[in-house]
Amino acid sequence: MNLIHRLREMRQNRFGAFVPVLLALAAIWVYFGLAVPLYEHWTNPDSESVRFIFLSARNIYNLFMQSAVIATLAVGITIVLLLGDIDLSAAATAGVCAALLGVLVLAGVPGWVACLMVMFVGIVMGAAQGMLVAYVGIPSFVVTLAGLLGYQGLMQKILPTGNLNVGDPFVRSIARILIPDLWGLAIAGLVVVAMVAVVLRRQAQRREKNLETDSALAVFPQVALFGILVFAVVLTLNSYRSLPLMILLLVALTSLVGWVTTSTPFGRAIFAVGGNPESARRVGIDVKRIRVAAFGIVGLLAAIGGIFGASRFGSVSYTAFAGGTLLLESIGAAVIGGTSLFGGRGSVWNAILGALVIGSLGNGLDLSGASAADKLMFSGGILILAVAIDALSRAETGGTGR
Amino acid sequence: MSSEERGAEREVPPPHLWVRGVHKRFGGVHALDGVDFEVACGEVMALVGDNGAGKSTLMKVLAGAHLADAGEFWMDGKQITINSPHDATNLGIQIVYQDLALCENLSVSANLSLGAEPVKQGWGFLPRFLRPIDELDMERKAKSAIDSLEVRTLHSMRALVGTLSGGQRQAIAIARAVGTKSSVVMLDEPTAALGVAQTRQVLGVVKRLRETNHAVVYISHNMRDIFEISDRICVLRHGAHVGTWRTNETKPDEIVIAMTHGIDEKVN
Repeated sequence: MNLIHRLREMRQNRFGAFVPVLLALAAIWVYFGLAVPLYEHWTNPDSESVRFIFLSARNIYNLFMQSAVIATLAVGITIVLLLGDIDLSAAATAGVCAALLGVLVLAGVPGWVACLMVMFVGIVMGAAQGMLVAYVGIPSFVVTLAGLLGYQGLMQKILPTGNLNVGDPFVRSIARILIPDLWGLAIAGLVVVAMVAVVLRRQAQRREKNLETDSALAVFPQVALFGILVFAVVLTLNSYRSLPLMILLLVALTSLVGWVTTSTPFGRAIFAVGGNPESARRVGIDVKRIRVAAFGIVGLLAAIGGIFGASRFGSVSYTAFAGGTLLLESIGAAVIGGTSLFGGRGSVWNAILGALVIGSLGNGLDLSGASAADKLMFSGGILILAVAIDALSRAETGGTGR
Repeated sequence: MSSEERGAEREVPPPHLWVRGVHKRFGGVHALDGVDFEVACGEVMALVGDNGAGKSTLMKVLAGAHLADAGEFWMDGKQITINSPHDATNLGIQIVYQDLALCENLSVSANLSLGAEPVKQGWGFLPRFLRPIDELDMERKAKSAIDSLEVRTLHSMRALVGTLSGGQRQAIAIARAVGTKSSVVMLDEPTAALGVAQTRQVLGVVKRLRETNHAVVYISHNMRDIFEISDRICVLRHGAHVGTWRTNETKPDEIVIAMTHGIDEKVN
């Protein structure tokens, strides 16, 4: 009971919500990165030195690239989860958009035009489902289940062979371009400096306006941890290749979506609808339009995920998107990140961490030669654990004082 | 039935909101059968009656949630119409429903500004719903709203509503209803389901509303609260107005009899 209580308190503040998923990530990395290689070294008399494959810069680079598509979709799915809805069709939407992208560039459409076109298509595909949810009143689970089936079929129609190579230089460059090492470090430095500046300025303004301030002891460890993480990531990526443009784009996109959800009236409305739709309606928020917009955003991010995937693999295949495990991995990433399936609580940044958890698990199990069956069962276990944490920490929020 | 004021007329301030002969039918049920009702500024008017007496219907008619079938509505001597919640809000009539309708996942300040968040200057190139919220201004407004109600147990405007007590939530719902330009605040059973200390806190907030010259309509079943807080008591029964008493000239027994049996010789 005491542990659960602490968990609830921790999840009440923004930073605390990161802790469970960071711990999960740390546990997985320690297990695959340290425990497994050490165990192999000690049990195998022929091995001369410990081989830290999982924690090698090369593997971490691959891990980030593998998780990028999952993370892009998970960021989108987080938005509808915040509303208390779900989107089962995101991976299929990504598949349709990727297939369309492949067909368009094959037909000679310039890569960047094709990208913009499929992003628009993604928005339409998402918003159409949003309208069915908001205006017809069909539960999102059913609408997007139908969307999942329909869009899977649509993808097969666009790709009768189930596979198409994408050679367009613009599309390929998204995953291929590397930010030069020094530039990467400069960007990391700028981000950290900007964050420190924002924190200091906010504290000064709070003091000036006589509002409650955060204790410096609470703020600066957070900033320091954030800074260390940013530099650690960039240095690790630099030591293998460099910071890939795709990762930078993903971070920029997540920052933008994160900012919109936490800092604008639109984002506030999303949280309000997820927390108490009746309350939102009474203060004059157009709940239906918010729903449609949120599903449109998922469609857009699914399309971008499709572009990222096509760029990374250099091809579009049915199994990589619509027909594979991408959907469950991305929903799993959002939920493992701590976004509540009941709506109103969560963050897009947590979805990125959740995607890393899912990605690390798959990557680690692959490296240790686990079967596909083991991978599925492990992922299921982690997902249940994440949802159990969500359910336990929610129990109290509804109950006090009533 | 008599709707005449009992006691000396001159001591009662002129009514701010004033309705005559309000009828409301739901199918075959005559929920309001020619009700008269009034409330003055700086007054707490208790609205009592048994279940089904028409208290909530009257309140919803005044809030624009239900449309009256017939009746005259007056405010400060001018005839008004209340056809929608929007009309009621524009007239400064606010209602705090029993369910409060707060977002437990949002902070106190976010709840108080919900739907009308202040945005920062200099972002005019974006549509309003995508401009950054001025969180500091929002918190400052929340703080002054909460302070004006003298809710002393609520320290952080950034606390999530889900972590607060029932009394604190009620205070926040009232603070939101009071907002900037409300003159009539209707409270639906604000102390139901609250403990003793929480009830004291809410009654304190209601007193503050009276001191700040609001016209307060207070629906409750709790005679102790009613006799502590109200200036006058309006009794409804079977959708009709039984009578209005001054709290200091009546007793709980008399009100209970009026609620259950209607008016009789003893009361008249």
